[in-house]
Amino acid sequence: MKVEEILREKLQRIEDVINGKEPDRVPILGATAVWHGAYAGYTTHEVLFDYGKCKSAWLKVARDFEFDTFTVIPGLEGMIYVVAFLKQPDISASARFILGSTHLALMDVFTKWPGYELDKNAHPQFIGKEIMKSNEYDQLIEDPLNFINRVAMTRINKKLSNPGSAEYNSALAKFGVELAKFGAFMADVSAELAKLGYPTVPMAWSYAPLDLIGDFLRDIKNVVMDLYRIGDKVKQAIDAVKPLVVESAMISAPPKEVRKQVFGTEIVECFFPLHLNEYLNPKLYNEFYWPSLNEVFKEVVALGLTPFVLFEGKHDAHLETLKEAPKGKVVGVFEKTDPRKVREVLGDRIILVSGPPNSLLISGTPQKVEDFMKKLLEDCKAGGMMIWPGVDGGISRDAKPENVKAMIDAVKKYGKY
Amino acid sequence: MSLREEFVKALADLEEAKVLEITKKRIESKEDPFTILEDIRRATEIVGKRFEEGRYFVSDLIMTGEILKQVMELVRPLLGERKAESKGKVLIGSVEGDVHDIGKNIVIALLEAEGFEVIDLGVDQPPEAFVEAIKKHNPQVVGLSGLLTEAIESMKRTVDAIREAGLRDKVKIIVGGGRTSEEVRAYTGADEWADDAAVGVRKIKALVGVE
Repeated sequence: MKVEEILREKLQRIEDVINGKEPDRVPILGATAVWHGAYAGYTTHEVLFDYGKCKSAWLKVARDFEFDTFTVIPGLEGMIYVVAFLKQPDISASARFILGSTHLALMDVFTKWPGYELDKNAHPQFIGKEIMKSNEYDQLIEDPLNFINRVAMTRINKKLSNPGSAEYNSALAKFGVELAKFGAFMADVSAELAKLGYPTVPMAWSYAPLDLIGDFLRDIKNVVMDLYRIGDKVKQAIDAVKPLVVESAMISAPPKEVRKQVFGTEIVECFFPLHLNEYLNPKLYNEFYWPSLNEVFKEVVALGLTPFVLFEGKHDAHLETLKEAPKGKVVGVFEKTDPRKVREVLGDRIILVSGPPNSLLISGTPQKVEDFMKKLLEDCKAGGMMIWPGVDGGISRDAKPENVKAMIDAVKKYGKY
Repeated sequence: MSLREEFVKALADLEEAKVLEITKKRIESKEDPFTILEDIRRATEIVGKRFEEGRYFVSDLIMTGEILKQVMELVRPLLGERKAESKGKVLIGSVEGDVHDIGKNIVIALLEAEGFEVIDLGVDQPPEAFVEAIKKHNPQVVGLSGLLTEAIESMKRTVDAIREAGLRDKVKIIVGGGRTSEEVRAYTGADEWADDAAVGVRKIKALVGVE
């Protein structure tokens, strides 16, 4: 088969599932931050800070394993930058993740990196910090974009602490340069992947409004306490930032006219990693988290995008609420909720994504992986599903290659329709 | 309802303002601070139970920890040199390569409220740090915490180091964090595992032999 046909076949699988049809077999969406580097013999520091090494490791995995897509996200949560730079859409769209290089350019206080704050082979980590005080909600509510730029950005980034200073201007220029390098790198890898028969499904960026406040402004622990103490203020803040995350989706999606031509597909996924979902009890979830998130889902679907949602942790207690989401339009990756339970409660209302947990890919054997996959596919593949290996955060640095291979073989064996 | 019962109920129901108000009243009335500690323990047990029953979630544990912190700030100065009888000693830390600590800190808050002595090693602690601390503090239980999937290998290395130092029989080990499972327990060679804080506290109590 020609490379273009292989690429088309892989893309078709994903399109079919998203369009509610059963494809020839279940597609496998590989994703990782550093596993490709470990596989190619690099430290996490090397693979995160050296695009040449990252690219060669990325392509090595693409050649050695048969995923349907294989995505490397060499960064950490950075949605606040997409929002802050909304007025400059090309910068904004490429600023979705905090990269090693942009961390060094701006010295954000959220993240820690191998070779700098951490050991060379450690995984980079988003730790977070309180940026906005509880008595500053009114400023955020009054003009969120202004507050995020004038106040939050100067506190998030040590190098932007003094607006107008030489250090400030230089840091922003450096940040722009690093984003351009990253954009060129991703475009380059995408073209190389296409030569190997790997499609790239375009992604747009949005977020749960309350997570934007929790992750980047108040910190997780503080925003939880705010819900008990000053819930009305939080609600107003959610309403204030909601239009910003919708606008983010709008500006980061490739325009309709070019989608087919550039990516070979009309489908654009819109990424939503959920963070507070597992933390909140149903009362808080239903009052603060879900209504605004579902409104964003609806707006994103109206834009012609497909929400691609990581339901981190256990989502069991909140599954019923997904009946209110746009039917058959939302892709859900469930980290710790049994996919059988998702099927039972939601049927085909949600486009199901599941996969082996990293504990199995790390500590299991190929036989155990095959057994797991056989059962998963037999129980859940009817009606269409996708596999996201290392369902808890993408493939771990320590996943054993033979187990990843066994996972792919099992999908080929038991994932056919 | 007596003031004591009111206090336990308000704390278990996470009524922050009411708990603090009653605490101040009890302190003003010169009540024995150890009675307050006893009530904190009772309320914390109710919180843990509600969590396991699926009525409380992580948000509720975070709020519990926050209220406990404020109550303890009021009560601690009254305790002086006297010490409550310790239920047991627990050494806990996030393993090498992992700098997350929300889960670990919730566990510590709950354990202390239940009357345990806790030694917090902090985050990103190499195996040797656990070994040294076991020798120094002689804990009954060692808690290895981590959020990352990469923490699993670190937990295994830490258990191995404890074994190699000849200390494995002296301590019970529990691995904890969102990505732990029975599979991870077996792989790391720990005695127990917990992917949420309340279950972790219950299992630590069982390991120590306190019900």
